[in-house]
Amino acid sequence: MMTIENKKGWISWFNPFKYGTDRWMYSLHRLTGIILGLYLIAHVWETSHILDGPITWNSLMVFLDYPFGPHFGPFILSGVLLVAVYHALNGIRLTIVENGLMLPKPYRPEFPYRPKSLKGLNNVLKIMLGVLMIIISAVGIYFIFTGVIL
Amino acid sequence: MQELALKGFGEVLKTVTFRVRRYDPEKRELPKYMEYKVPVQMGMTVLDGILYIKEHLDHSVSARYSCRMGICGSCGMIINGKEQLACQTQILELNKDLIKVDPMGNYPIVKDLVPDLSKLFRNHESVKPYIIREEEEPKSEFLQTPEQREEYAMFTDCILCGMCLSACPTNATDELYLGPQSLAQGYRYITDNRDMGFNERLNVLDSKHGVWRCHFSGACSEVCPKGVDPALGVQLLRQLLASNSFVKYKQKEATKGPERKSVSGVS
Repeated sequence: MMTIENKKGWISWFNPFKYGTDRWMYSLHRLTGIILGLYLIAHVWETSHILDGPITWNSLMVFLDYPFGPHFGPFILSGVLLVAVYHALNGIRLTIVENGLMLPKPYRPEFPYRPKSLKGLNNVLKIMLGVLMIIISAVGIYFIFTGVIL
Repeated sequence: MQELALKGFGEVLKTVTFRVRRYDPEKRELPKYMEYKVPVQMGMTVLDGILYIKEHLDHSVSARYSCRMGICGSCGMIINGKEQLACQTQILELNKDLIKVDPMGNYPIVKDLVPDLSKLFRNHESVKPYIIREEEEPKSEFLQTPEQREEYAMFTDCILCGMCLSACPTNATDELYLGPQSLAQGYRYITDNRDMGFNERLNVLDSKHGVWRCHFSGACSEVCPKGVDPALGVQLLRQLLASNSFVKYKQKEATKGPERKSVSGVS
């Protein structure tokens, strides 16, 4: 007789299907965290080229601006901005709710059981996150493409 | 009126395919899926479907069940990708022609759809889910107002089905994580005004694999068949422990009733 481990494993972090908004935001938070970590490593590698002198540095800057054709660099940068803004704002939201703030008091569960901790003020925070994310990323992307702060 | 209510009752309304994950520990094979065609009548639950398979199609399909009405918490399984009690899930309400039935994740499988829940019970035991008092034998009752009961009452509804540990993404990678069920139960006993065991539970709850590993994905609350909302309990416990590091948490002393010779009452 032998039993088998039925671990879902790290792949299940990215399986929010069939669950609700909080589970989706958890998956996105993990994903954006990994992307940001990889970006930071690449960023340190990129800026370390300044040690090789101005010619290497300038040619790298040109290459990163136009890796696969004109103005592809700004698109990558916009992506990084979106990822960073989401991770930062959701981090603030999690700091609030994970300390038990803006959550309901213990209540009586009633059929059809809908968890109140994922609703109410937590939902307000999620909507604020969405609105702030749209504003910040709109300003940021406008700046990336035009160089002008609104 | 009665004819209308019973319309279609007892007739076969449609045939659905059950795709059940099979695993036999005595054969040295990996788990595999097998399909069964089940005629569905009105009111049939997924558990009824599995029992139909067991009765008519394949006697070797194994599932754990007991009460068939969502009280005992034995028949938790993953139905179409989400943890649900098989006895509470109507086949017609799923509205699918294919129903995929998996055993709960993050537990060892004993056979087919039967998970080994000993990890859940071990974790539950480790948070000392009972009222701890200093005195050996209390001389009187501990009084509790309805408001004091409301502070923890929702967490007493837990039926230990273990579905929250299956849905929890932290538990999927951290073997030693206590899990939402145990943490919510820890909160339930700490906030009980009759309890005095806060310091005894602290080393288990406030540990590396304790309350701080929760990332509030809310999956445990979503799958809970009793609406216990363990995620809320974990966050409130976290608030309690975080504030405890600044101002020492003092458990409420329950007022005592009239003194008696014995609490068992007779003498």
